[in-house]
Amino acid sequence: MQVLNFIINNILTQASIIIALIALLGLVLQKKPVGAVISGTMKTMLGFLVLSAGSAVIVSSLTYFGDIFKAAFGLKGLVASIEGINGQAMNELGLGSEIAITLAGIFIVNIIIARFTKFKYIFLTGQALLWEATLCVVFAYYCGLTGVPLIIIGSIVGGFFATFMPAFAQPIVKKITGSEDIALGHLCTIGYMFTALIAKLTGGKSKSTEDINLPKSLEFLQDTYLSVMVVMVPLYVITAAFAGPAACAEYAGNTNFIVHAFLQGMQFVVGVYVLMTGVRMLLAEIVPAFQGISMKLVPNSVPALDCPVLFPYAPNAVIFGFVFTTIGSIIGMFLTPVFGLPMVLPGVLSNFFAGGTAGIFANQVGGRRGAMIGCIAHGIFITFLPAMLSPMLADIGFINTTCTDVDTVVTGFLFMLFKSIAAIF
Amino acid sequence: MFLFKKKKDKAAKEEAVPEISREELLKKAEAIQKELPDLSGEERNKALNELGSLYFEAEETDKAIRAYETSLSESKALGKAYTDLLKLYNIKRREASEAKDDAKMKEYMDKIDGLMKLSKDVIRGKA
Repeated sequence: MQVLNFIINNILTQASIIIALIALLGLVLQKKPVGAVISGTMKTMLGFLVLSAGSAVIVSSLTYFGDIFKAAFGLKGLVASIEGINGQAMNELGLGSEIAITLAGIFIVNIIIARFTKFKYIFLTGQALLWEATLCVVFAYYCGLTGVPLIIIGSIVGGFFATFMPAFAQPIVKKITGSEDIALGHLCTIGYMFTALIAKLTGGKSKSTEDINLPKSLEFLQDTYLSVMVVMVPLYVITAAFAGPAACAEYAGNTNFIVHAFLQGMQFVVGVYVLMTGVRMLLAEIVPAFQGISMKLVPNSVPALDCPVLFPYAPNAVIFGFVFTTIGSIIGMFLTPVFGLPMVLPGVLSNFFAGGTAGIFANQVGGRRGAMIGCIAHGIFITFLPAMLSPMLADIGFINTTCTDVDTVVTGFLFMLFKSIAAIF
Repeated sequence: MFLFKKKKDKAAKEEAVPEISREELLKKAEAIQKELPDLSGEERNKALNELGSLYFEAEETDKAIRAYETSLSESKALGKAYTDLLKLYNIKRREASEAKDDAKMKEYMDKIDGLMKLSKDVIRGKA
């Protein structure tokens, strides 16, 4: 009994061990050789620990940024980073085990729905599901759930999103790809459908974005982390310049406050880099296990794939989408404080991936005019929704950050709706 | 979603295009195959894509995959080679999952992942 208690209290409460056990289960179910099972399990555990290290760096950088932003502009400034939300939830809030088990639960619910209903979508973007599991757990926890009920409810809600978001986008994805073979597995779907609606209303019969000559690529985005740096470092430096040396002194010590701000901006990028390396290591064993099991159990499944799968169908629309979503998110950034909300600083990566895909949706239904207007609206939309969720995130304990992927934001609102309905009874 | 209701298929009203027989498609493919060694650059790439397209239409999935893969390995562009390959890999993936062939299933899922990476790289000017 003592041994059992020791295992329950000291081992099964460790998130890194729970995650490793899930990977172990996946590897065993795939009948992998013993060597591969051991190395895969250990690598997954290592992934979680790397993720934790990255999160600690991000939190320290964001704590500094939040303080100097307030001193500089008298406003609450939030960095939109779903990676930051995931890192803080798994580590600082101590919800790592629940998130890991809920991620596995979402896989199971997705397979059950796809197996027994006409919605054959199997969501294969592991990273997006990790973000969804995070928000499901965080908000279920915020609603007062803990333990098994939290995991069950989180898995059901996440599983529904994983199945029905690809189904929601499918009418337009089908038009884009010309077939039912693949679906979109990216949890920004509500934003895409909103963009398509605006594009449909405003675009009329304007020509396609693909009929014009544009640069073939966005070369300044060649290196993911360099592009984050290009945005974040000036943001930190400008904020510090407005805040002044006195406000920064507590953090900068003997270092010049501008040099310190520059280094803090770099630290944020380092944090994202380390955290994402951890996420990749963590998912490297779990996602293929899910792929293998789901494809076997639902042989006629439609794989819901990450957004770059659509880029080749309208590459110009991706560039349109990125540019106009960025414009929209900058407009949104200045508009949110007018409505008493915190200022949400745009994320370059979400503007590229979500903006680019929104551009493809908009172009499909509204041509180039629809893509321009629709994507500006998209940029505003994906800034306002996270800003509206941020008071709740702050209440839970998140430091100066908010979500990016719109469907995860809606997950948060959905849980709040459940809470309000439950309060009536 | 009333705004996204399907419009009546205009194509259905148009006269049906006479179908080309499988033999004819393969014959055309064979002719292109013969020309390939003498071609280079854009011309060769165009021929490879046409070859892939003919094999795809003739339901010669493996040959179509080979032609398109060669095309993409020689010129990393986001055109028909990419979009058809995605469909072809998915066909192979589905066949493998029906046959419960885990290794093949993984092989084609990995190939699909490779296509997505290519798409990201091309748009960001890395490929």
